[in-house]
Amino acid sequence: MNLYPKEVKAKILLHRRISADYFRLRLLCPEIARLAHPGQFVMVRVNELKDPFLRRPFSFSQIFLPQEKKKKPMDEGGVEICYQVVGRGTSLMTHHLEGHRIDLLGPLGRGFWTEEGRTRAILVGGGIGVAPLLSWAQELRGIRQRKKKPGKNPEAKTEVLFLVGGKSKEKVLGIPECRKMDLEPLVATEDGSLGIKGMATDLLERELLVGQYDSTLLYACGPMRMLARVAQMAYQFTVPCQVLLESRMACGVGACLGCTVKVREEDSQKAERRDGSSSTSEEAAPEIEGECGVETRKGGGMPVISEAPPFRYARACKEGPVFDTRKIFWE
Amino acid sequence: MALKKDGLDLSVELGPLKLKNPVIAASGTFGYGEEYAGIIPLKSLGALITKGLSLEPRKGNPPPRVAETASGMLNAIGLENVGLEVFLREKMPFLRKAKCSVLVNIFGCVEEEYAEMARRLSDVEGIAGLEANISCPNVKAGGTIFATEAKLVFQVISKIRQATSSFLMVKLSPNVGDIAKIAVAAEEAGADAISLINSLTGMAIDIKTRTPILANITGGLSGPAIKPIGLRMVWQVAQAVHIPVVGIGGITTPEDALEYLIAGAAAIQVGSAHFIDPRASLKIIDGIQVYLRANDLSSVSSLVGSLKVG
Repeated sequence: MNLYPKEVKAKILLHRRISADYFRLRLLCPEIARLAHPGQFVMVRVNELKDPFLRRPFSFSQIFLPQEKKKKPMDEGGVEICYQVVGRGTSLMTHHLEGHRIDLLGPLGRGFWTEEGRTRAILVGGGIGVAPLLSWAQELRGIRQRKKKPGKNPEAKTEVLFLVGGKSKEKVLGIPECRKMDLEPLVATEDGSLGIKGMATDLLERELLVGQYDSTLLYACGPMRMLARVAQMAYQFTVPCQVLLESRMACGVGACLGCTVKVREEDSQKAERRDGSSSTSEEAAPEIEGECGVETRKGGGMPVISEAPPFRYARACKEGPVFDTRKIFWE
Repeated sequence: MALKKDGLDLSVELGPLKLKNPVIAASGTFGYGEEYAGIIPLKSLGALITKGLSLEPRKGNPPPRVAETASGMLNAIGLENVGLEVFLREKMPFLRKAKCSVLVNIFGCVEEEYAEMARRLSDVEGIAGLEANISCPNVKAGGTIFATEAKLVFQVISKIRQATSSFLMVKLSPNVGDIAKIAVAAEEAGADAISLINSLTGMAIDIKTRTPILANITGGLSGPAIKPIGLRMVWQVAQAVHIPVVGIGGITTPEDALEYLIAGAAAIQVGSAHFIDPRASLKIIDGIQVYLRANDLSSVSSLVGSLKVG
């Protein structure tokens, strides 16, 4: 089986409005489902016309692996995406009827990952950004139907805490899905219509202030301001954190360089050493601490103050859309 | 080889360069080839042109770099690329195995950089030729875009020609008054072929925030929206020069490609269409064959420049 992304005309098995401007699409595409991992995405072609021109990226809210016994239609294998109507493309998408086909390219990008020793995951979702975290919660809970026995999935041991935020109760996504996974999400709404009055990041702060977090790993998806706040807290409490970034994309496969994210240049010293002289891993990567650009080189003595820490632009569609927050330049 | 069972000849000649068919993947939309490998068979393409390359690596512009527009898109990537050295070391090994003619798109800030690039790429195994992107500011001429002045075009292409005997195609910018005059300057300087059009400068504004959508404020417009302009310019240039012309601009379907061929393009490039349909080039190749058969034509070349006027 080759691991390249597939272009398929997927049959729409379910297309429902979830709330005011949130929609759910279930798409039959065993070829994609077989390869898909939470945090990855598909590029959806809105229609077969030339306008709107570009495909839209959507991360999976659920992945249905092909089952041997096909009791339900999705047992053939497919994916679910949730989307919010924000512009012309997504508003045209709402017209697609169940039974029709829609053009998908995927799975694409790099999804979420686990880290050894981090047995507790806190998932922080804001608005429609909750969707991709749902498939990851399933994976972490060992619920996603795998070919291997669920009990043998080491990730299943991960304890999951789901924090969900939205503007109002209509904009809170994923509570029924969480409950199906035996998870009771903590909820925050900006108007206080559900859960606490505030943001998902307020819930996170509470958790981090009271809890032990040596074995915790944070995962977040939502508006950029929320992600920046989560990253800041992750830094403050020294908890590793992964964020799924949304960005304007054209090709989705790494060719156009349109969807870049500013990240720290890890191997800038290696890059300077193109003469072929040896570089050991110890001296290759400068450790950059804090926002002020103070670099401390291991074994190098005095810290070096640099006004502009080395950076590069990483393709969100290839190196992301999930990034370790320590890599990103938060400006 | 290029002759199909039924005698259909899809091959085209761009001066000294022979391609198995007239469909080329355009620079900047196809990465270094490897990005689309596995999604489509690269060997089916007439050729592929790699992302614009400079002597030194370039980081490119800050995001956002792309914006969708009516039937098209704006981009301001900022010529991000890995630089010549990394290209030769890390990208060429794959391209050599791709069984596809590879053209390398090059650019520079001064004439000498173009010449240096051309010299160093000349004898590299697996490179069929060069495409010079001259839609960049000439640092020594006060930042004037090379492609906008016939004199600058003549000078830079002459320099490249002196540095290499490789196949040399010159990619022209549509952001000029008299495109034919520019094309003639490139021909006189020794270009083997002309490709056009590069993207048109445009912009888009977010009215909620009253800020430009692109961090670079302006960007290059591409996609179906620009096809009529590309077609008109190809037609004008094909009449003005004696070297082959390669049509670019908004080609997404076989019909688009056929229009360009009829207007005088010896071959065509497919660009942003790959973003919405990775198989666009393959569908265009198939569609051209269907058209040739339906019209009792035995070769692509018999169609080129067959426009009937008056």
